[in-house]
Amino acid sequence: MPEALRSEELGKTYPHGKEPALDGVSLRIPAGTVYGLIGRNGAGKTTFVRIASTQLLPTRGRVEVLGFDAVATPREVRARIAVIPQESRPLYFLTIDELVFYHLRMRGMDRRIARERTDTVLRQMGLADRANTLVSRLSGGLRRRAMVAMIFASDAELLFLDEPTTGLDPLARREVWAAIQKARHEGRTVLLTTHYLDEAEALSARLALIERGHVVVEGTPAEIRSRVKYPFRVSLPSSLSEAELAPYGEVSGVEGGWLVFAREDSARELTKLALDKNLAVAMAPISLEDIFLQLVGRPLTEGDALAEEGP
Amino acid sequence: MSVRHRLRSLWTIAYMNGVIPVRRQPLYLLNTIASPLSFLFFIALASRGTLLRPAIAGGMVLTMISIGTSLQADLTHYKQDMKFQDLVVASPVEAPIYVAGLALSEFLYSIPGLSVFVALWVATGPVPGVFDAATVVGTLLLVWAFSSALGFTLATYFEDIRETFVFGPLVSLGLTVLPPVYYPATFIPAAYRPLAFLSPATYAADLLHRAFSLGAVDPRFGPPLLAAPLDWLALIAVTAALFLLAAKKARWREP
Ligand SMILES: Nc1ncnc2c1ncn2[C@@H]1O[C@H](COP(=O)(O)OP(=O)(O)OP(=O)(O)O)[C@@H](O)[C@H]1O
Ligand SMILES: [Mg+2]
Repeated sequence: MPEALRSEELGKTYPHGKEPALDGVSLRIPAGTVYGLIGRNGAGKTTFVRIASTQLLPTRGRVEVLGFDAVATPREVRARIAVIPQESRPLYFLTIDELVFYHLRMRGMDRRIARERTDTVLRQMGLADRANTLVSRLSGGLRRRAMVAMIFASDAELLFLDEPTTGLDPLARREVWAAIQKARHEGRTVLLTTHYLDEAEALSARLALIERGHVVVEGTPAEIRSRVKYPFRVSLPSSLSEAELAPYGEVSGVEGGWLVFAREDSARELTKLALDKNLAVAMAPISLEDIFLQLVGRPLTEGDALAEEGP
Repeated sequence: MSVRHRLRSLWTIAYMNGVIPVRRQPLYLLNTIASPLSFLFFIALASRGTLLRPAIAGGMVLTMISIGTSLQADLTHYKQDMKFQDLVVASPVEAPIYVAGLALSEFLYSIPGLSVFVALWVATGPVPGVFDAATVVGTLLLVWAFSSALGFTLATYFEDIRETFVFGPLVSLGLTVLPPVYYPATFIPAAYRPLAFLSPATYAADLLHRAFSLGAVDPRFGPPLLAAPLDWLALIAVTAALFLLAAKKARWREP
């Protein structure tokens, strides 16, 4: 499969930064797929997106987008991409319809095609009945959806979505998910950054986990699962002691009980033991969240990647 | 993008940022009229009307300079608060199209102000000839162009919209209030007159004062500072230099 994006040893140290924000990131993103970039606050996701989408210059390495060097030939790249920057906000004095339609016109699209694409995308994103509402009168989540609609309506081959679903309610998230899946069916490529691991896993053919500017792990969700030592989790009540559980795997205390990460056979054994004692028990394959915990040693939500380096 | 697509893109940006907001809130149009008119009012009042004509010319220049400062404020807002510029950078729309589109929309906002000054100009003196009218139009277009280029370059360096609140008035002060824009250059003591050439608005005002035939109407104003071709040359050179600065130094893609 041809690649939509390919980076080699991409590195970035910001003009006033001490630590590199990206430190040798090499990724290959197959064309026509959704690719998930995950990592904690400050890991370097946005920096990667900004360099690849020609908004920022790298300090080393190279990145090719749809066959064009993003540093040397930005014009070629820009003609073929569209981006939702992190924390971007739609122009508030326009209606949703105007926002989408004039964005397409600004990109140079013919009036008739722009009209059709606007109507289609507003219908798909569940925004048709509010098409004539001013953006300034929308809730935060609807504004976000309007942004997403704006980018999806474009004819760009590669879409960069930097945390497109932050702040959306579960239903609205699903609508964005559906739009992303539709883009993939149309043969477009989507690079998605997110903090929601369920989202990354549900949508992405491949994932990369970035931590402090490095790729910690990369692959399909299944490949990533196979990389961890303990692919199952068992939750148990606090009436059991840590010493009792320790032989089965890795034990961590959680609210109201224990969480044991274990291999499949130990997990089954432990579950049976708990059932025999008439205790509430749940066994499941680990989530990406758990994988994160195992690989990085801390949960995704715990603090900033560089925070503990202190002032 | 082809030339046709570029023009379409430029007009769309001007329409989005200028026409649509004004249609929704026509009061926006009064936005740019306030400060040039207040200067005009005070100067005309304090000089008991003698400086009315130069102050009308000054109002025209300040209106065009204000386009640059409000363009700068809009650009900073769109970049820092809305991240809209980031979206545009990573799209087929090129920097000159984006800036020209926004500058055109700012021009729209200044039409009421300009109309007032043009009306005052025609009402307070002899009927302007075609040559004078062309001089005024050409001069104001150049001021619009250089103040927009300057506004764009500055905007790409500002990281906070609040910096704008300081710089905008400072730029207006340095470019139009202090130099001989609202008053004739001959009012400056001869020893300090060369300082006036530091502001490009001086050349624009000199051209306007000539088109307003200030010296002919009122001998106290004296002749213009420079010969007309020199004024034009200086104004064109400044505009070209600021365009070059924008092309070389404005941060479209960030370092
Ligand atoms: N303009 C900048 N100047 C200096 N340092 C920066 C700049 N932008 C980002 N950084 C630093 O680069 C690192 C990576 O930031 P980046 O925004 O890429 O992280 P991220 O993974 O997108 O985080 P988040 O999940 O919070 O969006 C951080 O340490 C950040 O402080
Ligand atoms: Mg980010």
